[in-house]
Amino acid sequence: MNLLVIGLNHRSAPVEVRERLAFAAGSLGEATRALLEAAPLHEVAILSTCNRVEIYGLANSAGEAAQATRRFLHGHHKLADSIDAYLYEHSDTECIHHLLEVACGLDSMVLGETEILGQVKDAYHAAKQAGATGLVLNRLFQKAFAAAKHIRSATAITRGSTSVGTVAVDLAEKIFGKLPRCTVMVIGTGEMSEITARALRSRGAGSLLVCSRTHERAEALATQLQGRAISYDQWTTEFPAVDIVISSTAAPHPIVTKEKLIPLMKTRRQRPLFLIDIAVPRDVERACGELEQVYLYDIDDLQQIAQENVAAREREISACRMLIAQHVQRYADWLEHNRGTIEERYRGRPTNAGLSGPAHNHAS
Amino acid sequence: MMTDRTFLWLAQVFYAASCVVTLRRLRAGGSGPNLQTANYAVMAAGFALHTMFLYARGQALGRCPLTNLFETQAFVTWAAVLFFLLIGPAYRVSFLGAFTAPLVLAICLAALLSPVDFVRAQPLAHSAWIEFHAAIAVVACGAFALAFVTGAMYLIQERQLKTRRLTSSFLLLPSIEQLDVIHFRLLIMGFVMLTAGMIGGVISYRIVGHWTTPKIIWASSVWVLYGVLVLARGLWTLRGRKVAVASMASFALMLVGFWGVNLLPQ
Repeated sequence: MNLLVIGLNHRSAPVEVRERLAFAAGSLGEATRALLEAAPLHEVAILSTCNRVEIYGLANSAGEAAQATRRFLHGHHKLADSIDAYLYEHSDTECIHHLLEVACGLDSMVLGETEILGQVKDAYHAAKQAGATGLVLNRLFQKAFAAAKHIRSATAITRGSTSVGTVAVDLAEKIFGKLPRCTVMVIGTGEMSEITARALRSRGAGSLLVCSRTHERAEALATQLQGRAISYDQWTTEFPAVDIVISSTAAPHPIVTKEKLIPLMKTRRQRPLFLIDIAVPRDVERACGELEQVYLYDIDDLQQIAQENVAAREREISACRMLIAQHVQRYADWLEHNRGTIEERYRGRPTNAGLSGPAHNHAS
Repeated sequence: MMTDRTFLWLAQVFYAASCVVTLRRLRAGGSGPNLQTANYAVMAAGFALHTMFLYARGQALGRCPLTNLFETQAFVTWAAVLFFLLIGPAYRVSFLGAFTAPLVLAICLAALLSPVDFVRAQPLAHSAWIEFHAAIAVVACGAFALAFVTGAMYLIQERQLKTRRLTSSFLLLPSIEQLDVIHFRLLIMGFVMLTAGMIGGVISYRIVGHWTTPKIIWASSVWVLYGVLVLARGLWTLRGRKVAVASMASFALMLVGFWGVNLLPQ
């Protein structure tokens, strides 16, 4: 009796290959059932995200099941050429280890990201609903969720933001606390300012003003983010109410200077002001950051913090692996201890024993 | 020998434990289990022992335990811990205990280790007004002590934001706006209580008819100092780090002045 995983991810396969193997979320149940028919597996679960497609299963013989699973992938996705070069396989302890690393975000493109845990949960529930999981995979996935929760709280693997937009949100929250009372002003529309404004908005930022030299673009962004477009010359008039400024104009010279800012700060009763300057060349004079209550960050500052956070997460990898090893050992012990019961349950029964109801025949 | 001082020593064990928890959390880069609740329980245990000391001492004296410098310091720190226990959960201030515990520990240890715990002849006639005015003024100082703590937290967080160098304490510390608001509320609370204490003092003077001049000068200066600070912050004349610096300096001045007033005549 072997556990096995067969799959590909963002490291083993380029996106052109991954997209051809992806399963649509709605079709997972059907696909797991088809796979149970096609391959000599007792239990199975399919995990499919934009960065990975993995099939977890329990079989009498890992080698035989892996062969059949490869054939299934090929047939199901109607592939013309071989994908064997992109696929990896792990069995037993290595398989357990792999799932735990995936669930903890250690195998993700953005180290320690937490979205993957939800995706693993969805994959498990889809398989369970299709009746494709049983004694072994149920426990394996539940242990993986518990391990991920433990590792998240015991290490700093998810700590700190790793993108410019979310770093800006973290900073805003450490200045203003709750964001709903904050007003954000976007000066100059562009991809980065949109990402940052969106991140602030999704974390609850109260109101949003957009101004741009091209008024249509300001209007478009304001509509998208449920803000209000104002004319470009109006930004100083609106300034007293603003707490956060995201600036990304194409202006060749700074548009916010210390000289302009001093009287503006007085109109705002010296409330804190967060200036996010993502323009190159920069829109905000560096000297503005010297003013009391003004917090100025340019694109390099934000990127550096994001990189430092990534590095900090990388330093946590070994601590995570140590904890994962303990969880893997505990599960492997349980599996060994219950091997008799499990083999008993699946002996002499068709391989798709995870299904409830009458036994299904193998597809030949 | 078991004396009432033993309770205060035992309380220090808990305050020290709280400091150790904080240091370990900082060294772990803010990772590890969130020990906020555990830390709160440790501080509460310290507070219980601290209260037992004041109670035992009060019983022995038959009056409010504020008869010497040692007792006063124990009382001020007790009030500071009381404010921490009330404000920490009410405003969900993370990491407040991390800064309160070391300050309380330092002041209490200084009191326990210096020879200031002697029985002093009580020249003043016993009056409920005297006890009230002294006790409430000391509780006011507890509020100022916690204002000092939040001021320190503000300065650290503000420096990190300003210099763009974020350490492991960055995510643990609250936002500067929240710290600013709590700081101001503590200043107001302290000032209102100090004012009540001053009024109580005037009434007890009328009853007892006895002024101790240095103490009056000290108390009036503290009242003026904090009055100006509350007013300046309330009118937005002072904002941000200046409020924190002024409040911390006021607290330090108050402590030094208090030691001076109490030690000089001897």
